[in-house]
Amino acid sequence: MKTRTTLKQRQRAKTRKKVFLLLLPIMLFAILFIYYPFIRTIINSFSLVNAKGIIKGFAGFDNYAYTYGRKDFLPALRHTLTIAAINVPITLFITISLALLANKKRKLSPVYETLFTLPMSVSMSAACMIFKSMFSPSVGFINYFFGLKLGWYESQETALAAVLILTIWMGIGFDFLLMLSALRAIPDQIIEATRVDGISPARRIFKVQIPLISPTIFYVLCTNLVLAMMTSAPMIIIMGVSSAASATNTLMSMMYQSGFSSSDYGLAAVLSISAFTLTLGFTILSFVFERRKVHYQ
Amino acid sequence: MKRKTRNLIQDSVVSTVAIALGLIIIFPLIYCLCGAFKTPHEFLTPKLLPGSFTYVGNFKEALEKGNLLRYTVNSFIIALAGTSIRLVFSILAAFAFAYYDFKFKNLCFFLILGTMMIPADVLLATNYLTVSRLHLLNSYLGVMVVSFVSASQMFMLRQRFKSVPKDMREAAQIDGYGDISYMINVLIPICKPVITTLFVHSFIALWNAYLWPLIVTASSPNMRTIMVGITKLNSWEDENYQLVLAGVCISLIPSLILFVIMRRNMKKGGMDGALVG
Repeated sequence: MKTRTTLKQRQRAKTRKKVFLLLLPIMLFAILFIYYPFIRTIINSFSLVNAKGIIKGFAGFDNYAYTYGRKDFLPALRHTLTIAAINVPITLFITISLALLANKKRKLSPVYETLFTLPMSVSMSAACMIFKSMFSPSVGFINYFFGLKLGWYESQETALAAVLILTIWMGIGFDFLLMLSALRAIPDQIIEATRVDGISPARRIFKVQIPLISPTIFYVLCTNLVLAMMTSAPMIIIMGVSSAASATNTLMSMMYQSGFSSSDYGLAAVLSISAFTLTLGFTILSFVFERRKVHYQ
Repeated sequence: MKRKTRNLIQDSVVSTVAIALGLIIIFPLIYCLCGAFKTPHEFLTPKLLPGSFTYVGNFKEALEKGNLLRYTVNSFIIALAGTSIRLVFSILAAFAFAYYDFKFKNLCFFLILGTMMIPADVLLATNYLTVSRLHLLNSYLGVMVVSFVSASQMFMLRQRFKSVPKDMREAAQIDGYGDISYMINVLIPICKPVITTLFVHSFIALWNAYLWPLIVTASSPNMRTIMVGITKLNSWEDENYQLVLAGVCISLIPSLILFVIMRRNMKKGGMDGALVG
């Protein structure tokens, strides 16, 4: 009896050791490079931080008051929200339309599906360089093709428009794929039933197909909102942070500027936390919808 | 018969429209490829097509003067090593969650999944300070260290491991396989399709990363990755777009090849794995 319990205990101790070793690497790095910096960013936002990132004292809400009082903060917030508000509905419209078009499997399906999804493989910086060249006022193709004489980066509106076209293009591939797989997961009997009932294609799309894929639509909506509000690379790459960047700055590109150009870590922390708070709700919602999406399939 | 021909016509019309739209969508890529073959002089006239597709001077100059060869090697090392380490970490953790019961199991699980709630961009500044304190700035390890944790990969692998029949493990145990040899000799070969998909995805993600490599390698031009390198090929004073587009083409090669492989995998039914980064 006694030996049996010790054997069991020994086995349990062995399991504990194994589990510890198996989980150690991922937990260590999750804590070191995700949880610690997250908590530290929150603390930094309430502290007096010097240019080396060392905390020199408690600052209360001073950093927040300073950041929100800056005259480049409101424009940055406005650009962030504008990009999200314009990008998301257009992306949804384009990807749902493409998915409806590609829904039925045809001989040439692989060809156009590949074309639609190809932007997925292009990196942000590569896309930025291509679009920067295309929108170039002097040698760019866009001005030439449409007969325009726009200096795209000179005014705030056109610069934002160029960034929006770029970010929408970046999102098409992946979101199309999600919409397509959702549409194809709708059981054939349902579509067949609408045909038997003589329901018009337009009615079928708006009353049957779109409502049925709504969990996926909401999922794409939430993830895209988060991504759009985190946009920073186009501003950094195309506009160049130092050069009058306030014309198109977003919260995250302003964060980059304050953290790495001027080593103002208090300001960077406040901007990070603000962007995080702005997106948190949508991040949580996207998890909810992802679950429902999986259930539905 | 009548319905069949009508369907056929409808399908060809829709296919044509779809391909036309597809060509518009990939137009930036076509433009990039064409631009890369233009001579600097040709680039001054904003026509789409170059005189011929035989001028490779831009590629040569980008690789040599732009140091892109070095950056490509850097990117390869970082993407390959980073992806491998990330996968190993995920496999180990997924194994623990799939096969063992232990105290705080749920807590640990949610701690790892919780990392998905925090966007990486928010952590940039603080991680930069950590990495610089660890003296990892301008090193390969410094560039990849923040991407070792992937909760979504860990989650996918756990789901897959759980779907492997329990008998398999018992049989392996009877044959004298320990946990590690079971994992290496049985589990990983069984789950190869999912692991391949995750590998491809990770590789593309790390290959394409921009902001973090930019920050970490800021003071050492030799350590840049290719995605940072291509943005340094031009400036407001010296636009050099033909050079930039050649660089972009080079940077796109690996991700496009992997993309095609991934598409093939998806058709084989690995769709679920294809949608996680």
